Amino acid sequence: MVEATTRLTARLELAKAKGIRRTPLVPLWALVGGAGIVAAIAAYPVYGSNTYVLSLLGKFLCYSIFALSIDLIWGFAGILSLGQAVYFGIGAYFVALSLKINYALDNPTRYGGKFPDFMEWNGLTELPKFMEPLISTPFAIACALIVPTLLALLFGVITFKRRIYGVYCAVITLAESLILQDFIIEYQAYTGGFNGITDYDNYANMYFLWFILGVTVVFFFGVRALTHSRVGVVLKSIRDNDVRAEFIGYNVANYRIFVFCVSAFMAAAAGAMYAAWVGLISFLDTGPVFSIEAVIWTAVGGRGTIIGSFIGAFLIKGAEFFLSGVLAFWWQLVIGGLFIFVVLVMPDGIVGTVANWLRRRPRAT
Amino acid sequence: MSGLLEIKGLTTTVSGYTILNNLDFDIAENELRVLLGPNGAGKTTLIAMITGQYKPTSGKIYFAGQNITGLPPDKIFQIGISRKFQVPNMYETLSLFNNVMVSLQGGRRVFTTLFRKLSGEEADRIWEILEFIGLADKADDASDTLSHGERQWLELGMLMAANSKLLLLDEPTTGMTEQDKHKTAELIEKIAMNHTVLLVEHDMHIVRLIARKVTVLHQGHVLAEGPLAEVVENETVRQVYLGKGKFA
Repeated sequence: MVEATTRLTARLELAKAKGIRRTPLVPLWALVGGAGIVAAIAAYPVYGSNTYVLSLLGKFLCYSIFALSIDLIWGFAGILSLGQAVYFGIGAYFVALSLKINYALDNPTRYGGKFPDFMEWNGLTELPKFMEPLISTPFAIACALIVPTLLALLFGVITFKRRIYGVYCAVITLAESLILQDFIIEYQAYTGGFNGITDYDNYANMYFLWFILGVTVVFFFGVRALTHSRVGVVLKSIRDNDVRAEFIGYNVANYRIFVFCVSAFMAAAAGAMYAAWVGLISFLDTGPVFSIEAVIWTAVGGRGTIIGSFIGAFLIKGAEFFLSGVLAFWWQLVIGGLFIFVVLVMPDGIVGTVANWLRRRPRAT
Repeated sequence: MSGLLEIKGLTTTVSGYTILNNLDFDIAENELRVLLGPNGAGKTTLIAMITGQYKPTSGKIYFAGQNITGLPPDKIFQIGISRKFQVPNMYETLSLFNNVMVSLQGGRRVFTTLFRKLSGEEADRIWEILEFIGLADKADDASDTLSHGERQWLELGMLMAANSKLLLLDEPTTGMTEQDKHKTAELIEKIAMNHTVLLVEHDMHIVRLIARKVTVLHQGHVLAEGPLAEVVENETVRQVYLGKGKFA
């Protein structure tokens, strides 16, 4: 009896020491592996000559950040957004417009106008006054990051503060996305409409790849730190049981708004870099289909695992680029089928399933 | 002001049904009060009103002299009232340790929480609570692995971490074995040493064990109030609640 008590005390001491010791932000093996992958991507322009692969790398990194922004709200705070592309798209449009306007200054249109060609086609005779500030690149970048974040704040205030969340929130984000698409198509003189914005100087080069990679790493650690912080634990508690959290004194709406804004900021940054990298932006990049695709990447990779967003985005987008040529017609079907498979068979996604398996294995032996 | 919590003329009408009917009720500081009453008497509704889950149709609720009627639940918590739900409510995927950590008293604003680190004292407090409720062994387990009784204790632990002045405990022994019920009764007695507690309890054995003063609700108003021994002798109480000599 005495022996048992001593053993229990010893176990408690052990558990206690474990609890107080801070768990590392990223375990060493993951840090080393991650550094290897980052180095391999960063070195690609040096050892690889395939510009197509280079262009894909930059794209996929932007997609990954976008998926990460969804993982942050969906995986860690339980907010499912089907309109996350709104923030990605607005970020992208600001940058694309700025680049296009600057491009037109140096490359006049067929009729000699020093403003974007699509404006000319739509009957404008000069750059609209309200768009002139976008000539300044820093201003455009600031807009690309701040406007989506403020929009997310507005969205949060009108939904979360009114206790709208869950499915209703998802439907509203979907509507938001459709409205933005309609807006872009309707005001084609200013947005390029159906054709989108294209023919401007893009930056698919080594230095910009490094920049995107750097931002990706910063966001990865940022999200990791956020979700491991005390706010992260509160967000997870709200995800698990918002009623309990409210009755233990948390203003649930404020936490939701906060994380939604952080996520919108990340999506906007991804969109801004995407526009500068790819050199083509259209209303599709703000639409629900793109949003839902990113939700699928996150689900397949593993919701609430951070690294899962990267794995999901790279795997699915990678497969799409290499297989959609062969499967063309069937591709959307494959993606849809994959999503159903993941939801039914591995609800924790690739990362979650592997983690569960690793966790269980030692106990079985 | 006489009581810590004072309720004056509280009336709640939901689609034509009067659930609380001009209820007057108060609790003094450091009291352990047991709330009794048949199903539908309005016990849980009363707790929902006090904690701001629903707004009363009329009447006022004062806590430590401050009018808290109609405030949102998070504000009412911050003023000093916490609540245990009838069905255990916790954060299923979080570890027990984190369940208690989230509940610790202290700032609740987003940006204060963002930069707040877990201090050594706070960690000690969490371990102390986990040991107190007898679940320190499972500190790292996700709370959805707990049994029903353990969930109830965890939620009690969370309320202890919150360290509110007034604790409203809605049937914390529901669905427990006799043995677990006794352990819960002990926990509640210990909690009541330095907190004011309002306990809703159906099990008369447990009530007998810990009750000092009881209030019997019936059809939305106070039917009887006083020391347990007196109240159980009350003829009306025996008719509407204890019934048919079950308690004799």
